[in-house]
Amino acid sequence: MQNYFFVVSQRIVRVLELAGGVMDEMASQSGPRKEIANNHCSEFMQLIKDIQFALREEIKSACEYRPFEKCDYVPRISNEICYKKLEYVIAQLDEMKQTMEGYRNAA
Amino acid sequence: MDGDIEISIDKLPIKRLDAIEENGTERFPSDVDYDEKRLNLIRRIDFGWAVEREDRSKKRKSEGTTSANESTTTNQHTGQWQSLVENLQFAQQELSVIIDLINTVQANDAVTVAGMTRPKQLPNELLSDLAVSTATKLQCFWHLGKYFKQSAAALEKQVAREARFYGALIRLQQNWKVKRHRLVAAASGNAGFFIDLFYNTLYDTSVSLRPSSMSTIPIEHDAAGMLAVNVPPNSCRSLRFEFLGSHSANNVRRSGETNMHAFSEDSSTETNKEHANDDECVRKTHSLLREVHRAIFDEQVFELVSREACNSSLSVNLTGIQENYLRLSINQGASVSISLLLSSQDNKTDIVSGTNSSETETIPSELSDWSKFREGKDNVKKLGFPNRISFEIYLQQLFHEYVFVRAKDKTSSSFRSLISGQQSKDNLNILDHFCMSLAHSIFSNKVLSELESLVCRTPYVQLISHPTWHSRTSSWTLSMKVPQSILHVGSQILSSGISNVKNVRSQFWSKVVVIDESISVEGVGDLNVVGLFNGKPESICPINRYECDLADLPIILLQQVASQVIQWLHEEALTVGIKVTRDFLSLAFELDHGEIASLVAHVDPEDTRGCISWWLMMDDGITENHKLHPDLSIGESESRKFLGHLSLDVLYSTLLDFVNLCSC
Repeated sequence: MQNYFFVVSQRIVRVLELAGGVMDEMASQSGPRKEIANNHCSEFMQLIKDIQFALREEIKSACEYRPFEKCDYVPRISNEICYKKLEYVIAQLDEMKQTMEGYRNAA
Repeated sequence: MDGDIEISIDKLPIKRLDAIEENGTERFPSDVDYDEKRLNLIRRIDFGWAVEREDRSKKRKSEGTTSANESTTTNQHTGQWQSLVENLQFAQQELSVIIDLINTVQANDAVTVAGMTRPKQLPNELLSDLAVSTATKLQCFWHLGKYFKQSAAALEKQVAREARFYGALIRLQQNWKVKRHRLVAAASGNAGFFIDLFYNTLYDTSVSLRPSSMSTIPIEHDAAGMLAVNVPPNSCRSLRFEFLGSHSANNVRRSGETNMHAFSEDSSTETNKEHANDDECVRKTHSLLREVHRAIFDEQVFELVSREACNSSLSVNLTGIQENYLRLSINQGASVSISLLLSSQDNKTDIVSGTNSSETETIPSELSDWSKFREGKDNVKKLGFPNRISFEIYLQQLFHEYVFVRAKDKTSSSFRSLISGQQSKDNLNILDHFCMSLAHSIFSNKVLSELESLVCRTPYVQLISHPTWHSRTSSWTLSMKVPQSILHVGSQILSSGISNVKNVRSQFWSKVVVIDESISVEGVGDLNVVGLFNGKPESICPINRYECDLADLPIILLQQVASQVIQWLHEEALTVGIKVTRDFLSLAFELDHGEIASLVAHVDPEDTRGCISWWLMMDDGITENHKLHPDLSIGESESRKFLGHLSLDVLYSTLLDFVNLCSC
C-alpha cells in the first residue's frame, strides 16, 4: 500500500526546490539561462500534475470509503483463540514426546 | 487735470436681453471675458487729456526749436508711449490675475489644477529609472529564490519527521481502527489520534457491552517524533478458569503469555535510526494492541458470564462472587472459579498466606520434577478433571461464537441446537451449556477410566474412542475380534468337507455412549460378508440397548462381552457340527452318554488377573446343578473345574476338543 502522504510531500518539496531554482536563474546577473529555466518549469508543471492526480485519487477513494466497514476485530479474536488452542496442542504433543522419551529411557 | 470729473455708471451686472426674435428666442449679449472686462474698464478711463497735453508740449517743443527732427521724435515718442502703455496694461492684467489667484488660495477655495503634462523625460533619465527598477526586481527574485529553497529544506525535514509518524500510523491503520478527536487536536499540540479497540455487539441489545476504559488508546509522539502508544502497566487482565482444589497438575504455565508491559517503556528510549527500528517499533506497538484487545475481550466474556450466572438457571450454581471472581459448583461435585487476573499475577510464584487467596494462586514453578508431575496427573485422573486450559479456551470460544460471530451470521442453526438442546426459545444460556459440558467431561473421564481398567484386564477386547464433535456426548467401543488364526482354522475345517456353510461372526462390538451424564450401552454383532448375502434372520444379531449407572457399567459390559464370546463359540460349534445349546453365559455340549458339559463364563470386575474367567461344569443329567450360577464358594469339585482366564485361541481349541468327545 503506497504511502501517499510521503510521496506527495516529497513532490511538494521538489516543486518548491524547482521554484527556488527558477527564481535563482531569474535573479542571476547575466540573465536566466533559458534551457535550465525551461527544464525546471516543465518539471514543475509535471509534478503539479502528478500531485493533483494523486490527490484526486485519494479524494475519490475517500469518498467511497465507508469507515471501518471491514473491521476485522471479531476474526482477530477468533485468531487469538486459535492461537491459544495451538499453544495448548503443542504443549500436549510435547508432553507426549516427554512420555515417550521417559519410557524409552526406562526401557 | 482739468475739466470736470465725469462719472460713468456701470450697468448692473444683470443679463440684459439683447434682442428677441419673433419666435421667442432671446438673444443675450455674449459673455465678456474677464480680461476683456478689465480692458474695457481701462479703456473707459479717458487718458485723452493727458495725451493731448503731451502732444501740445511736444508740438510746442518741436515747433519752438527745431522743426524737422523734433517732429519725428515726437512721432517716435508717441509710438513708444503707446507700446509702453500697452505693455503696462498687459503687466497689470497678469498681476491682477496673480493677485486674485493668491487671494483665492488664501481664502481656501478649491483650486483645480488642470492636468499638467509631464515634461518628456530625457533618455538618460529613462534608462536610470529602468536600471533601478530592474535591480529591485532582481533583488526580489533572489530573495524569493532563497525563500523557496529554505522552505523546501524545512518542509523536507518536517516531512521526514512526520513521515515516520504517519508511516507507522498507516501501518497500524491496516489492522486497527484509527480515529481522531478534532477538538483534542485543536486544543493540545497533539494530532488527536487514538485507536479504538471496541467492537459493539449490535445484534442483541441485551448483550450490549459498555466500552471499557482501555478501549480508546491515545497515540502520542515520543521524544524523537515517532509514534508511541502508552498503556498503563497492570491494566490488562486475562480470563482464568480453574478447578478449585487441584492446583498442582493443572496449572501449567502458559508459554504464550509474555509480559507485554515492557514495551510501553521501550518506546521512550527509541533512537532515531533507520527502518529496522521503525519496524520494531510498529511491531511492538502492534503486539501491545493485540494484548489490550484480547484483555478487553476477556473482560467482556467475564461480564457476560457474570450476567448469566446471576440470572439463575438450571445447572449453574453460583456459590461465590467477588470483584473479578466467580465461583460455581458443577454437578459432579466439582467447584470451579472464573476470574479476571492481571497478567503479572499469572507468573508469580510466591505463596499468599491467608484464607482469601482468590486473586493469586500458587503455581509450582518446578515442573521438571517428573514424578510429582505424574502423581498430580494421576490424581487428576481419579477426580476426573479435564485440563483446565482446554475449558478456559472453550469458554472463550463459546462466548465469542455466540455473542460476536453470531451477530453477523444468523443462520448458524447448528450452533443454536448445540446450545439450546431442549430449549426452543431464543434465550440461549451459554454458561448452562458450558457447565453441562464440564460436568459431562468429568463424568466421561470417570467412565473412560473404568473402561480402561476393564480393557486392560481383558486381552482380547480393544477400546476404541470415537470423536463425537459434540461437547456433551462421548462414545467408545469395546471391540472383540476373532484372531486371524482361528478364522483360518475355521475356514480349513469348513472347506474340508462340511457343506454347511454357516455364517460366523468375526467381530463383536459393544458400544458405550454417554450423553450428558447418562450412559447407554449397546451390543452389536458384526457379520461376515457372506452372511450379508444370505440374509437369514437368525444371522442378524439382535441389538440390545439399555441405560445404566456408572457403578453397574463394568459388570454390564463384562457380561455383554462374555455373552458375545459364548455366542461366537456357539456359532463355531454349530459350524463344526457339535450339538450345543447356549444360555446367557454358558454353553452346554451334549456328550456321548447324555452327559452335558458346560462352559460357563464368570465375570468379575474386581479381579486383577482378568475380568472374565471360565469354568467347566459337568452334568450327568441326574444331579441338580446350578449351571447358570457358579458359586465360587463351593469351589472346585468333581462337577466343576476352574479353567482360568482363557484367551480366544484356547477357547477355540477347547471347543475343537469337544468335537472328539461329542457325538456328531
